Amino acid sequence: LDPGRHDGTGSLLKIGGKAATSPAENYHLARRRTLQVVVSALLTECGFESAEKAAVETLTEMMQSYITEIGRCAKAYCEHTARSIPTLSDTVVTLIEMGFKADTLPVYAKRSQRMVITAPPVTNAPVTPKALSAGQKRTHPAHIPGHFPEFPDPHTYIKTPTFREPVSDYQVVREKAASQRRDVERALTRFMAKTGETHSLFKDDITAFPLIAAQPSTIPYLSALLPSELELQTLEETDSSEQDDQTDSENAAGNIISDDPGADKENSMLPPGGVVPSAKASEDNVIDNPYLRPVKKPKVRRKK
Amino acid sequence: MNRKKDKAFESPRPFKLTHQVVCINNINFQRKSVIGFVELTIFPTVVNLNRIKLNSKQCRIYRVRVNELEAPFIYNDPTLEVCHHESKQRNLNYFSSAYTAAVSAVDPDAGHGELVIKVPSELWKQDDLKVLKVYIEFSLDQPKGGLHFVVPDVEGSMAERGAHVFSFGYQNSTRFWFPCVDSYSELCTWKLEFTVDASMVAVSCGDLVETIYTPDMRKKTFHYVLPIPTAAPNISLSVGPFEILVDPYMHEVTHFCLPQLLPLLKHSMSYLHEIFEFYEEILTCRYPYACFKTVFVDEAYVQVSSYASMSIFSTNLLHSAMIIDQTPLTRRCLAQALAQQFFGCFISRMSWADEWVLKGISGYIYGLYLKKTFGVNEYRHWIKEELDKIVEYELKMGGVLLHPTFSGVKEKDNPTPHLHFSIKHPHTLSWEYYKMFQCKAHLVMRLIENRISMEFMLQVFNKLLSLASTASSQKYQSHMWSQMLLSTHAFLKSISNVSGKDIGPLIKQWVDQSAVVKFFGSFAFNRKRNVLELEIRQDYTSSGTQKYVGPIKVTVQELDGSFNHTLQIEENSLKHDIPCHSKSRRNKKKKIPLMNGEEVDMDLSAMDADSPLLWIRIDPDMSILRKVEFEQADFMWQYQLRYERDVVAQEESISALEKFPTPASRLALTDILEQEQCFYKVRMQACFCLAKIANAMVSTWQGPPAMKSLFTRMFCCKSCPNIVKTNNFLSFQSYFLQKTMPVAMALLRDVQNLCPKDVLNFILDLIKYNDNRKNKFSDNFYRAELIEALTNSLTPAISINNEVRTVDNLNADVRLILEEITRFLNMEKLLPSFRNTITVSCLSAIRQLQKNGHIPSDASLFKSYAEYGHFVDVRVAALEALVDYTRVERSSADLQWLLNMVQNDPAHYVRHKILGMLCKNPPFNKATDSALCNEALVDQLWKLMNSGTSHDWRLRCDAVNLYYTLFGLTRPSCLPLPELGLVLNLKEKKAVLNPTIKPELGVSSVMDTPASIGIHGVGMSYSSVSGVPSMGLKRKAETPLGSPPEPGQVLQQQEEDARGGRYKIRFNTMEDEDIDMETVHDSQAFIHHHLNLLERPSTPGKEPPSVEQSMLSMPATPVPSFPKETTSSSSKHGHKKKKKKHKHKHKHKHKHESKEKDRERDNSHAYSNSPASGRSLRSPSLSD
Repeated sequence: LDPGRHDGTGSLLKIGGKAATSPAENYHLARRRTLQVVVSALLTECGFESAEKAAVETLTEMMQSYITEIGRCAKAYCEHTARSIPTLSDTVVTLIEMGFKADTLPVYAKRSQRMVITAPPVTNAPVTPKALSAGQKRTHPAHIPGHFPEFPDPHTYIKTPTFREPVSDYQVVREKAASQRRDVERALTRFMAKTGETHSLFKDDITAFPLIAAQPSTIPYLSALLPSELELQTLEETDSSEQDDQTDSENAAGNIISDDPGADKENSMLPPGGVVPSAKASEDNVIDNPYLRPVKKPKVRRKK
Repeated sequence: MNRKKDKAFESPRPFKLTHQVVCINNINFQRKSVIGFVELTIFPTVVNLNRIKLNSKQCRIYRVRVNELEAPFIYNDPTLEVCHHESKQRNLNYFSSAYTAAVSAVDPDAGHGELVIKVPSELWKQDDLKVLKVYIEFSLDQPKGGLHFVVPDVEGSMAERGAHVFSFGYQNSTRFWFPCVDSYSELCTWKLEFTVDASMVAVSCGDLVETIYTPDMRKKTFHYVLPIPTAAPNISLSVGPFEILVDPYMHEVTHFCLPQLLPLLKHSMSYLHEIFEFYEEILTCRYPYACFKTVFVDEAYVQVSSYASMSIFSTNLLHSAMIIDQTPLTRRCLAQALAQQFFGCFISRMSWADEWVLKGISGYIYGLYLKKTFGVNEYRHWIKEELDKIVEYELKMGGVLLHPTFSGVKEKDNPTPHLHFSIKHPHTLSWEYYKMFQCKAHLVMRLIENRISMEFMLQVFNKLLSLASTASSQKYQSHMWSQMLLSTHAFLKSISNVSGKDIGPLIKQWVDQSAVVKFFGSFAFNRKRNVLELEIRQDYTSSGTQKYVGPIKVTVQELDGSFNHTLQIEENSLKHDIPCHSKSRRNKKKKIPLMNGEEVDMDLSAMDADSPLLWIRIDPDMSILRKVEFEQADFMWQYQLRYERDVVAQEESISALEKFPTPASRLALTDILEQEQCFYKVRMQACFCLAKIANAMVSTWQGPPAMKSLFTRMFCCKSCPNIVKTNNFLSFQSYFLQKTMPVAMALLRDVQNLCPKDVLNFILDLIKYNDNRKNKFSDNFYRAELIEALTNSLTPAISINNEVRTVDNLNADVRLILEEITRFLNMEKLLPSFRNTITVSCLSAIRQLQKNGHIPSDASLFKSYAEYGHFVDVRVAALEALVDYTRVERSSADLQWLLNMVQNDPAHYVRHKILGMLCKNPPFNKATDSALCNEALVDQLWKLMNSGTSHDWRLRCDAVNLYYTLFGLTRPSCLPLPELGLVLNLKEKKAVLNPTIKPELGVSSVMDTPASIGIHGVGMSYSSVSGVPSMGLKRKAETPLGSPPEPGQVLQQQEEDARGGRYKIRFNTMEDEDIDMETVHDSQAFIHHHLNLLERPSTPGKEPPSVEQSMLSMPATPVPSFPKETTSSSSKHGHKKKKKKHKHKHKHKHKHESKEKDRERDNSHAYSNSPASGRSLRSPSLSD
């Protein structure tokens, strides 16, 4: 009995509904079919003339489990005694352990009404795929006996440096940077073009030179005037830190206003956010600008 | 001359406006409507003031009260529909005169208006002059002009959506949004109140006194007071959820921008205080208003518009610190706006004829600002540019007249017969002409400065300003405020007082006369006498030119130095002898002194050994508005380019060198290109010249393509010359050069007339290796120029029997170009550039690819980019491509699409732009035949200018321009022939073919085309002849004696002859009359106008309303009234065409009915803004 069997059947059950195609699956299917034949034969022996498919299936399953359990136990016994291949006695002990009278087995096997089942078709046992070997396996050093297991693949325990000497040639660097950026841009725009609507310049081949379709925006001036995030980023990188701070605070001031229109509305008695504090910070004297003055409450008598 | 008379300002109105309240208490962004009232405080200047005429357009007026008494009123706007009757007249002469008449009829400068209020008799029947308060309630619903609502279609409240509204208009257009006296010369103090949503800000003229919540706390009211007397056209308003920035340097200055743009606003405005300081310093005068506000709005009508104490700008002027190219442009706009605050807003003009003074002064001080900020080179470059512009325009279109004088009696007296529009009113002026007018005005101011010195000039300005500010602080007194109005006369008087100089001839030449001077110069050196014989000829016969008599400066650079000579240009002296100072080539080794005192070594081997002349310049200071075509040898131009330090001289020599494609020219240009001290714009110009020279020398050109090695040396890496350095735009001069050189290089062509392969690869490499990561500035303009360079490299595709363009037969080079463009355009969607410059360049590149036959011509791409919702620059670029497509493909569907957009697009600027582009690049013109030219198009355009554009003066004039470009002045050739075929000329006793049928041979030959107006006008034509003195004479008298007649004049004379001989009626075989339209109608207008003037005071509100209305509207629509009247009069003559007359009557009846319906609807008031209704009542009243 194959100890790996269990796993095999497990996966078999899972994919039972699908058309099995791989050799390993074929192998398992054939075994299972044999088991089914056995079950059917036993049922016939017991006097059944027909059986529901589900019943046969259940019995097959039970039988398979039983056999599997025998195999598993036998292997356990054998490993208990520090061996790797089960012997007959392991199997016998197992059967006994499982409450089966082992001595009845020969009689049963030789009973007269037993049906002879044709041998299962010869199918190739599944080949376990070779583990991917990477690199040269190391041979044992002199102080380790030869029967010891081989070393695993080197990458599993040896640090492999992937570092290469950087190319410092200016021309190549520029060349690379340029083509890299171009490739990224091209890939990105192609992707965008493929996922969205496009214009095409040619009628015969609409996939050549796809242009991302123009989408009107509701407030077109915003995107056209405000620097893009990328530009802001490069600005921050190139600018001195002093300027950095300034733009940051400016942005923050702008954001307060745009992010929080509700609060702004409530506070509209106060000057709109950001302006006064920053102005005050820079100047000591208080700015008297009519637009910064608080909005007056209506007079009760006032009629509009 | 008119100028002599206008010493004291005389109001055309029988009353004086002293104060006006404007209160707008509801602005509905959803419905785009406005409700409010105005209250005008007026002071009658005559007893029995029974009518008050005010201006109001498109406002719905609910009630008018005068001193709490309900007053009846009439509202009639003749400019809504210029020509009323459905005649088949479709000629522009007719339209122009009718339009002028309509505008005149409501011209506030003549005391007219659309809104006539009858003062209740209780108020005027007493003898004393009492102050009247005129209270008018009005509303505006979806205004098409005057106020512009921008309401983005997104989720959220109006404030969150960035919805805003602002006032706009061309010249005096305030009447579009509230009733007023819409004249620059009627000043009053103002109280302005605007109630807006609590999340919004209302910015208007004057000082914000207080802001008060409404009782429900959901809105607030902004109270403005403007104590300085201001004309209504200088009042403006903008309301929106603006972000507020108080100028950190000047706390009385406040900036407003749309949400999210505050960082840009901060940066863009960081410079404004310097402009303030500059103007205040040179004018030695404080800024006249207590505060100043700048508002940046979307979909602006123009980039800059100035109003009293505030300016409205296009939001697209805002930019971040990363943008190079926009910075000077924005600063220029700010400086313009501020200059107009002093002259234009604070000091207003007395009449339209004085407009040039204000535009001139503001343009002039703006020029001084340019000189101070951007340097003398930039200033002189700008002056040259402006001079070239005005010269080109005047030579092409005919003269631009700064100070038109109208003798007032005759409407027909047109000082500019060469134009297809009247210059009598700002509102009839073509936009192009007005721009040139402004340009000429400031150039003339500069000429005055040349004459009287800048010091005196500034003193004059200071005097005008101090007079005005004294006047402005006065309480209302009868004549004090008129000191704030500037007239040509007052200005000239001030100049003569301050400087003591007589600038009369200068004014006469450039202000009272139109046109420029055209000089041709050539010279010979007389070795024996050591004299330079200079010949200066003039062309003063072609259109747009005039004769110049007076001094002219000539600068001669000799070996021994530079010498100025002043020559007198006189009637018949062409030749001038100028003695030379240096003997030729005495010492070769000596350094040569230049004009500026610098001494330089020159390689003199190129020059003529016999002559000491290095170069000669005529009028180097540009003190004449002229074009000079001067002939000198190529080496002289080259010396001038290399050694003359004046940028104007350098630019002139560059354009002259285009004609001398020699290795020496090449060397001179290359040297200039390399010279870092040289002004960058000269170097940029040299690039293009070099490209032209290289193309002309293609067969003998040695070495690599022009500019390639230069560019490599300047901008590429030392170690790998094919790779451009990473961008660093810290030096703006080299930035501009780096941008320009590839564009110019792409214009190079090889022997096969193709762009050389290595140039194209070079540009592609520039694009490939462009790296902006380490740059402090954005490279979007640079990349846009690189795309333009790719576009320039395109040449027409070789097409084999018109095969359809497919991807497979795409040229390999073009494929590379197309790939770049595709990538750029797609990247722009993900990372948009500033003002989408890249998209703009890509669109024009794609159009060029189409036009050159590389890819199939297709308009759909451009259409999608032209839709509303894209950035305006992108739209304009797409529309430009579409206009070009329409012309090339003669696509009538696309023309329709464009015209449809002209009618319906929300953005006024785009509508204006489409018409402008169609004029520049017309799908066909009057000289060519085209399938597009058909009756339907004529009708459509006619309708567009006749009634479709009544809400926007500028747009209407654009439509007129387009009509002129397409069909000319006369009947469009595609219309079916008029019924009359022959015209009898009684004088010459022969019948000629009706001139309307003749194909147009050019403008000059068709001036006198009598248009057919069918059966009407039998009797009238006689009366008109007797009533109108001939105009041709008058005009002729104005031109200098002995000068050959201008084309227009010749025709006038013919007209006159014909008139004398033909007795005005030309019978023809089809028994129709053909009368001289122009004259008759104008005279009609004139007669009616005067009849009406006479009648009005004598009929004080007793006649039934219908008659009254018809009468009052008459001056408004004098021209259309003519046929109706003659219907009745022709019945006396009682012969021909019963049938047609019958039909006509039927029409009248119909209109009667419609009018009655109108009246029912408007029940109590005689309110009607329908021109049809106004017309229908006229003819019965007249026949009565």
